[in-house]
Amino acid sequence: MFGHRKEQTEAWPLTGRVCTLLDVPQGRKFRIVEIKGGPGLHRRLLSLGFHRGDLIALDGEALLGGPVLVKNLNSDTRIALGRGIARKILVEPADENER
Amino acid sequence: MNDRVPVIVFVGQPNSGKSTLFNAIAGFKAQTSNFPGTTVCHAHSEVAWKDRIYSIVDLPGTYSLTPQEPQEKVVLTHIFKERPDLIVNVIDASLLCRNLELTVELLELEYPMVVVLNMMDLAEKKGLTIEVEALEKKLGLPVIKTVATRGQGTRELMDRVEKVLAERQTPRHLKYSGEVESRIKKLTERLPADFPVIANPRFTAIRAIEAETLAVDKFILDNNPDFKNDLDQVRQELSALREAPAYEVLAAERHHLALKIFEDCCRVRHARLSGLEKLDSFIMHPVLGLFLLLLVFAGMFYLIFRVGSPLEAWLLKPWEALRLGIQEKYGQNLLAELLVGLVQGIGGGVAIVFPYFIPLLLLMGFLEDIGYLARAGFLMDAFMHRLGLHGKSVPLFILGFGCNVPAIMATRILESRRDRIITALLIPFIPCAARTTIILALVAFLLGPWWALGFYALNLVVVAVLSSLLTRIFKYSSPGLILEIPGLKWPSLKNILQKTYFNLKEFIRFAWPILIAGSVLLSLLSFVNFDRLVNAILSPFVSGLLGLPSELGVTLIFGFLRKELSLLMMFQALGVGYEQLLSVLSRAQLLTFVTFVSFFIPCLSTLAILWKELGRKIAMVSVLLNLSVAVLVSWLVRLAFSLF
Repeated sequence: MFGHRKEQTEAWPLTGRVCTLLDVPQGRKFRIVEIKGGPGLHRRLLSLGFHRGDLIALDGEALLGGPVLVKNLNSDTRIALGRGIARKILVEPADENER
Repeated sequence: MNDRVPVIVFVGQPNSGKSTLFNAIAGFKAQTSNFPGTTVCHAHSEVAWKDRIYSIVDLPGTYSLTPQEPQEKVVLTHIFKERPDLIVNVIDASLLCRNLELTVELLELEYPMVVVLNMMDLAEKKGLTIEVEALEKKLGLPVIKTVATRGQGTRELMDRVEKVLAERQTPRHLKYSGEVESRIKKLTERLPADFPVIANPRFTAIRAIEAETLAVDKFILDNNPDFKNDLDQVRQELSALREAPAYEVLAAERHHLALKIFEDCCRVRHARLSGLEKLDSFIMHPVLGLFLLLLVFAGMFYLIFRVGSPLEAWLLKPWEALRLGIQEKYGQNLLAELLVGLVQGIGGGVAIVFPYFIPLLLLMGFLEDIGYLARAGFLMDAFMHRLGLHGKSVPLFILGFGCNVPAIMATRILESRRDRIITALLIPFIPCAARTTIILALVAFLLGPWWALGFYALNLVVVAVLSSLLTRIFKYSSPGLILEIPGLKWPSLKNILQKTYFNLKEFIRFAWPILIAGSVLLSLLSFVNFDRLVNAILSPFVSGLLGLPSELGVTLIFGFLRKELSLLMMFQALGVGYEQLLSVLSRAQLLTFVTFVSFFIPCLSTLAILWKELGRKIAMVSVLLNLSVAVLVSWLVRLAFSLF
């Protein structure tokens, strides 16, 4: 309702295109393809219920290079991730009807 | 069953309502809030239920049994070393799917266990229908529905606990997919005879596989070279199966089990966006959210001032009259002096502390309970990075506005020790409820609200400057932010009142008696002229450097016990009543003194908790840091006033 990022309707979805969590528009469904970065980060995200194959959506972001808000659509949880971490999460667009 | 008191542990993911449930069963014991990680050390209580005593332990929340934060390690020690008789797995029913991952992991222990679906009201509001019988069947465990905030379901829970213990029911673990399960079985069979088995061999094998890249791994393998080959082989096989590290393969297995159970036992009706969710999109908005954050805090302090200030004036009157009455009647003898000390001690507590302290605690409790703290962390993360920290410290600083002690304890939620140390060193500079009370009662009441606001701003600037200095000394990059944002929830009046009561009790039981005793003691000391000695010793500093009346020296000694004591006792030291304070002190002197006392040393309980949490060295560093900052800043305040 208050999302400030404009919907980028032309370019999305491009199925099969892999990008980082930082490059995606808000509100669209994406699937986690890979979590790069060390085992510490990886385990942390696993234990928070963010796994490969999960459907997620970007739910918001803070000002001035602040964190992004990520919603896990499978488990209905939300976490805030710093940009450095969001950059390490690779996603691909998912079908809007998928669950 | 023997006569030994059975030990029951509450285990669950952060923010699943363990402490609220624990309180509902055990009375006013643990602190709760809507912020993951409030219970940082465990609470413990003996509970009588139907002629039997149970020992109940409320453990900190943990997302999994692979520990990552210091607080999560507490959970493992309890589960692994002090084998409990029964586990109560508390689940936030509105987040059933993710919470089940921990349940699946706990099941692998094969300890007697009961599952609690807490926050059922929230789950229903979200449009979640959970079929309890189906869930019981899938998990092979008893499942109880509760709404801990209203105490619903606690009797059923205790009945079930009793039954499970009496019948010694132990559950069976759930099966992973065949190809993974066969590898675990292979490793289970190869466990060396002297290998330290936790719970059961299968669980131990799983732990060993998952220990990859953790410190404990090296420890296991150095002692068992033969086992190392087997373990490495199994890890490689698992890894090859799914093209992922072995630990991820196992975590994914549990994830899929949880998803499957969730889909089989739950129906999700897509509920309309609730009022709270609409409000949340406003709170989390990058621009409006920050604006709201500012407004919330400004509004909070304005409100407290508006409530406190008239109340303070009204409450002060009878005590002031009593003091004057005593002096008039008895003159200048010992008895009169002691009585005046007593009256000032009691009156200081009633008239100065309560009008501000209680509203502040109530409002802080409200913000915590609805889940605002984590949101503040999200919004402020970018600013905190500029100061070398990250947003996860923000909720801790905000907690510090209530009381520094729980805030320092809660630094355990920070992953890196460097962040813990810096945050814990900064927290004592945050004006806690007691100091805010003083700022409002003295500065705002005597000089006006703008002066108090200015003082607050100065305080925050000091914290910001210190933060950038400290983070420059302790270099290495802070890990990025990973912070769960719990759902916004309607505040529970019961929770807020309980928390306020909890903090108030501390004040009434500990601080107020000291205030009264200190006040009487000071009367006695001044009657025998002992205070002059202390004042004379501290005089070069107090009057020389800071330009204050040397009579204030003796109050600093009390300030170490609790900071507000110094400020409250200045009336007695100066021998004036509250409203005449400005006749003996100038504005500059008052502000210099308030500045100095606010910073000069962490109060006794803060120091004790620093020592306990981070060691003697850090506690000493904290004292030195506070002292030097206090001297420097209060001297600057003095200088600023003499210049302008």
